[in-house]
Amino acid sequence: MTTLLERFIPEAREHLENAAAGLLKLERDPSDEALVNEVFRSVHTLKGASGLFDVPGLTRLLHAGEDLLGAVRASVVTLDPPMADALLDALDRVSAWVDELQRHGRLPDDADGASVDLSRRLRAFIPHADEIVTAGALATPAARADWLAELPEADRLTAFAETLAGGPALLAVSYVPDDGCFYRGEDPFNLFPRLPGLRSLQIFRREPFVPLAETDPFQSALAFRALVAQPRAAVEHLFRYVIEQVVIVAVPPEALVLPVGDLVNPGALPHFDGDAKRRLAARDFSGLRIAVAALLEQTDARLWVASALRWLDAILAAQLPNPIWASAMITAIAEVNAAPAGEAKAPGLFAPKPEDLAPPADAPDRPMAARVLAEQMRIVAMPGDPEVLQRRMAAVEATVGSLLSSLGWSVRDGELAAATAEAAGGMPEKLRELITGLQVRAERAADGPEAVPASMAPLLATSATADPGQPAAGDAAQVAHVLKVDQAKVDALMNLIAELVVSKNSLPFLAKRAEDVYGSREMSREIKDQYAIIDRLAQEMQRAIMDVRMLPVSEVFQRFPRLVRDLSRKLDKQIELRIVGEDTAADKTIIESLGDPLIHLVRNAIDHGIETPEQRVDAGKPEAAMVQLKAFQEGDQVIIEVSDDGRGIDPVAIRLKAFEKGMITEEKADTMSDQDSINLIFLPGFSTAEEISDLSGRGVGTDVVRTAVEKINGQVTVSSRKGEGTLVRLSLPLSMAVARVMMVEAGDALFAVPMDSVAETVRVPRSRVRRIKRSEAFVLRDAIVPLVRLQDLLELPGQAAEVDEEAVLVARVGGAIVGIVVDRFREGIDVVLKPLDGVLAGMRGYSGSALLGDGRVLLVLNLKELL
Amino acid sequence: MAVVFTTTRARFEDVCTVEEALPLLEFLRSGDDVEVDLSACTYLHTALIQLLLTARPRMTGSPADPALARWVAPLLTGPNIEGDESDG
Repeated sequence: MTTLLERFIPEAREHLENAAAGLLKLERDPSDEALVNEVFRSVHTLKGASGLFDVPGLTRLLHAGEDLLGAVRASVVTLDPPMADALLDALDRVSAWVDELQRHGRLPDDADGASVDLSRRLRAFIPHADEIVTAGALATPAARADWLAELPEADRLTAFAETLAGGPALLAVSYVPDDGCFYRGEDPFNLFPRLPGLRSLQIFRREPFVPLAETDPFQSALAFRALVAQPRAAVEHLFRYVIEQVVIVAVPPEALVLPVGDLVNPGALPHFDGDAKRRLAARDFSGLRIAVAALLEQTDARLWVASALRWLDAILAAQLPNPIWASAMITAIAEVNAAPAGEAKAPGLFAPKPEDLAPPADAPDRPMAARVLAEQMRIVAMPGDPEVLQRRMAAVEATVGSLLSSLGWSVRDGELAAATAEAAGGMPEKLRELITGLQVRAERAADGPEAVPASMAPLLATSATADPGQPAAGDAAQVAHVLKVDQAKVDALMNLIAELVVSKNSLPFLAKRAEDVYGSREMSREIKDQYAIIDRLAQEMQRAIMDVRMLPVSEVFQRFPRLVRDLSRKLDKQIELRIVGEDTAADKTIIESLGDPLIHLVRNAIDHGIETPEQRVDAGKPEAAMVQLKAFQEGDQVIIEVSDDGRGIDPVAIRLKAFEKGMITEEKADTMSDQDSINLIFLPGFSTAEEISDLSGRGVGTDVVRTAVEKINGQVTVSSRKGEGTLVRLSLPLSMAVARVMMVEAGDALFAVPMDSVAETVRVPRSRVRRIKRSEAFVLRDAIVPLVRLQDLLELPGQAAEVDEEAVLVARVGGAIVGIVVDRFREGIDVVLKPLDGVLAGMRGYSGSALLGDGRVLLVLNLKELL
Repeated sequence: MAVVFTTTRARFEDVCTVEEALPLLEFLRSGDDVEVDLSACTYLHTALIQLLLTARPRMTGSPADPALARWVAPLLTGPNIEGDESDG
């Protein structure tokens, strides 16, 4: 892996996390502009950085995400849950790819396909996505299909006729392969024959002519333009691997009507204008076609006018000829015809502005629609005798009908026919109403696509200019303060410091030897002085390295907003997650091992604890439930509480269940306290879920939580009130690296017991030890405490010494009190606990070993396993 | 062999891949009086189309393949459409 990629991966993760966290907050408050900017910037920066590597799928997906966020930022769309789902899924996918990059240095094989699918899903949320893509990718006029006139007229005429006859909508596809595409095994031209709807294809060199001698045969210099009658998705699918080099624009049929040819006045069309207009007004389309055909015969086929006549013929050949198009064409022909020789200009056709000749995607000539409708209104309003009225209304019906089909709009079946029939009978009200409705619609449609690019403009401008500056400044500040270090290095440093702590412990022994063996009290004192200094420094170093390893609990908490959101959507429960004290810090090992237990607890709370909104309302609670994650420090422990205000735990139900499963006896069930009953949920195999859901109740019970927490020397307690909620409390040590243990002697060997399981040490006179069958016990403050002998427990050789008083270490093991008889108590010390490894790893009863100052190895007992 | 070269003639047969680009370039550079025969070609890589478009050698016979006949052959036989108009 390259250094650059190594640096990219952690950065990418950070950006992804920021973006995901931001999105979740944003979903709750979509109006927070600062947040939108933050998420946008994360995705934007990441996209930019990813461009340094050969990961087109990843970059493309981020680009789509950036576009959607850009639209959110420009207030074109509002972030809603499905959109957030799509964005989060995309981020998840990118995150998986980053993992893959780290492992294998490349994206998985299916990345490109997945990227296209996910990108499309994202883009589907952006209204008029094509325009944004176009503007973002290639903000040039070429992005619009203004090259249609260059396609052969015959191809365009065929496509035009097909579309008017009800064929699929047309797309203009412009594909500019990049220089190196041949090296990647791409073969641009041969994609096109695979489009069954290919109607026209233009292949041309992107650059002016290069002499053959200077040609690089492996550098692509071609570009392609095509007219395709096929659904957009099929075209995008074919071009999916090069989609960023392809611009696809929808083409309304009238955009093809672009006569070409020499603009010379043929002078052969006398009175064409007046005659044609008359025939058109009378809807004598076939007569007009005959006239056009006759004119064509007299006209040089290479002239502009001939081309225009061919188009006029094509317009008239449609089943329902569009009179507006025809009329515009006739006017244009007349204009050229009337112009003095040599001064003719190509007249504008249906729209006066040149840009309207190539309308943007999904926006057929809308101003035209408005004009057509206004004209129809005028016609409807004209008085006339019944016969004229009837013909006129038939024409109106035809015009409006063809307008609707060309815009892809529809009205209720038969509504248009009924309205025109009524109008022909002298009652035009319904028809007027209908046309007015369409006018309103046309206006709205015209506003829509116009408004979008305008509001997009600031977005595009800021993303191009403002952003690179801002993050750069922020990054510089960050670099100055934060040093990213591989965790292994910190661990190595910690191990060294631990060794130092242990070796410094040998100095007091040395001092003692100096005095005892060499008889130098002076030397002994000096060593002790030096020891005091080294001891202080070592402790400070230890504290410092602990600080380095300290992580805030937010590391684990931050995944919960997403989890809770997903679960609440899945289960249709309204849940508000409250996180308190996320800055509370604890050792990395502790924090990391917290993840799974917490997920389990939160899932449990949501799945079992929280009622459905209806149940909550019935119970007089607010509809939205509350789940709280709270962390705080208490002494040398970190406390993490997971609480909910759900239905709570029913101790009676628990008892019943435990009894049914044969976990407790009937008498025990009858006499158990409620709290003890609740604690039963920690027993292995216990699950009260009425039915196994997808979320929890998969056979792993709360016992998993307890095991995981106890592994890091923590404790779990549950308290719950039926109907009011449940609180699970995890108490965890702040740090695992240094453990406080109490040393004890048994059978001439030294052992240690973790200090947090020691309740007290007592000396019990032999006479007070009672024998109950084969077990021993004694009474401590009115409670019977069972006694075990460490020597027996560990099967140590040697006879227990006969003493008057037994040294008993009273320990708490899994909630029960037990007395452990040892030979002698020794002092408590801090040790660096090292797990047993190698062949000793599987040995039960020990949680690890520690080195003493005099070189002896101290075995630390795991009482829970031992008893 | 997908492209069979003789001194003045290149005959394209069946599938012609990007591998042929370098030999074709050499062939096209070898002299002005060269001709190409696409009639038996069924697949012509873009890189080869690009070279033919640049060199515009004489064509003998028309491709049997419909896509090549429709979209490529006219570019090589018709008037030179290179130039300003293609920059659109």
